[in-house]
Amino acid sequence: MAIDNSLLSGSTTLLVLKLLEDGEMYGYQMIEELRRRSDRTFELKAGTLYPLLHTLEQQGWVTAREQSGSDTARPRRYYALTEAGRGQLAQKEAEWRTYAAAVTQVLEGGACLA
Amino acid sequence: MPERMEQFLDTAMDQVRWKRAKAPLRRELETHLLDQQDACLEQGMAPEEAQAEAVRQMGDPVVVGQELDRVHRPQPQWGLLGLTLLLALTGGILRVGLTAAMPDAIQVSQTVLALLLGCGCLLGAYFLDYTFLGRYARIVYWGAVVLGGLSLIFSPNYNNASYYTRYVVLLYPVAYAALVYALRGKGWKGLALAILGGVPLAVIAMLAPYLLGLVILLVTGALLLLCAVCRDWFGVGKHAGTLALVLLLLLCGALFLRWGLPYFQAQIALLLHPEAEALGRGYMATAIQSALAGAQWLGEGTIGGFFGDSSTPYWMLVPESGRDALLTTLIHHLGWMPFLALMLTVAGTLAWVLVKCLRQKNELGRLVSLAVVLTLGLQAVSSLLLNLGYPFTSGTFPLLVGNLHSILDMGLLGLALSVFRQEKMPLPAISSPLPGPLRRPVVTWRDGELVIALRRN
Repeated sequence: MAIDNSLLSGSTTLLVLKLLEDGEMYGYQMIEELRRRSDRTFELKAGTLYPLLHTLEQQGWVTAREQSGSDTARPRRYYALTEAGRGQLAQKEAEWRTYAAAVTQVLEGGACLA
Repeated sequence: MPERMEQFLDTAMDQVRWKRAKAPLRRELETHLLDQQDACLEQGMAPEEAQAEAVRQMGDPVVVGQELDRVHRPQPQWGLLGLTLLLALTGGILRVGLTAAMPDAIQVSQTVLALLLGCGCLLGAYFLDYTFLGRYARIVYWGAVVLGGLSLIFSPNYNNASYYTRYVVLLYPVAYAALVYALRGKGWKGLALAILGGVPLAVIAMLAPYLLGLVILLVTGALLLLCAVCRDWFGVGKHAGTLALVLLLLLCGALFLRWGLPYFQAQIALLLHPEAEALGRGYMATAIQSALAGAQWLGEGTIGGFFGDSSTPYWMLVPESGRDALLTTLIHHLGWMPFLALMLTVAGTLAWVLVKCLRQKNELGRLVSLAVVLTLGLQAVSSLLLNLGYPFTSGTFPLLVGNLHSILDMGLLGLALSVFRQEKMPLPAISSPLPGPLRRPVVTWRDGELVIALRRN
């Protein structure tokens, strides 16, 4: 099911950081991986991804290195999480879980009063 | 590249105003488009259809370009540019004003020319793409060595020192930063080359001879190398590299102390009690201390201390009063308050540069700006010690003392500001190799097979 873009935009940073948790990736790979992991729910546009990645790089949360790919001569830019980025990911993940739990709780009729 | 994709890239890049940023941004988007197109072709689409789909998936090119433009803009350094110009102008006025009554007064015309040339160097370096230091690191390094050698041969000698070599040596920390950068990912060999690369530069500084330049080069070089190994720049492992370098530095320090200790002990004893040899080796220190002893908080001071009874005018008493000892002259003629205000401004400026330098994400940018700030900072400390009556080495205060020195310092600061101006550049201009341990050797022996890697990753 396709979802409203505004729902995705609030959590794009979290999703992008999470993608890089297990190792470095290049832009196209990240869009494909996100599509695969979300069962085609998240269609991240390159026009959103690259400015975001570059902003994260300027904030010091990711680093990038440019290199020719192993199976092609195309120059690729690989992004990797920094220590600061890992910290941010943990924090954003915790925030998201609290938020999601609260939304779910409201949708299900509020907290049970014992 | 198909026309439809070209159009997309052209439109997106038209939105990006920073010309220097366009090429790397375009390259990244282009690769993405081609990857997307390949994926569509694999799914069985016709080439035309695959191109259209790849472009469609990118989104609106105007929005893409505008977003990238928002992230990548030059960061103008008006504050630091203004402070540099203010300090250089103050230095020019002080040089002319304070030496006006001296027989070897510094000429207004020469100072104005120096300020104009200095502004040219400051702005020229500021607008320069400093990444050329990384792209042409070997040329920069060997150029610096050759320039030093030529200056040793052709430069006139003043006070038994090669005059122009002093200025060349002050550029060496930056050339050395370029060398360290170029040896990235080259393993132990790279680290050894980086250490050995410092030797010719140090030898030229010694042949000049220019003690302060040598000290600046050694301290800056050691710190740049430490920075590099701490970030595992050479790919030999963070801890192994740091340990090896620290051990080497300790060994060099121990050897240096073993041979140089008697000299330094004598120097320190002299600095602590210069009046013991007031008319010999301790003359300059004693003269400066006498001038400071009679200085006022504000306004013209008198001569106190050891030479208090002497009727010799200030400019005859204190050597180098229009050059290395210009700050003492400032304290003597105008008082401690203007001196302190000036020193606080310089300290604030250098601290600001240092903070910005340490925040740099770009490796080359950090190394270059660190080399600049250390060169200027160590000059300032040495000059300050001299002007407070502890002349350990010669010392021209950055931006304030010496016409030619000021031009050089302005150029160096311009280079650091160029780094800060370009800190939001999208990609490193040089493609970086894999760190050492991940790099495949050309020839390997594996399970009885000789593997020759024809393509290096």
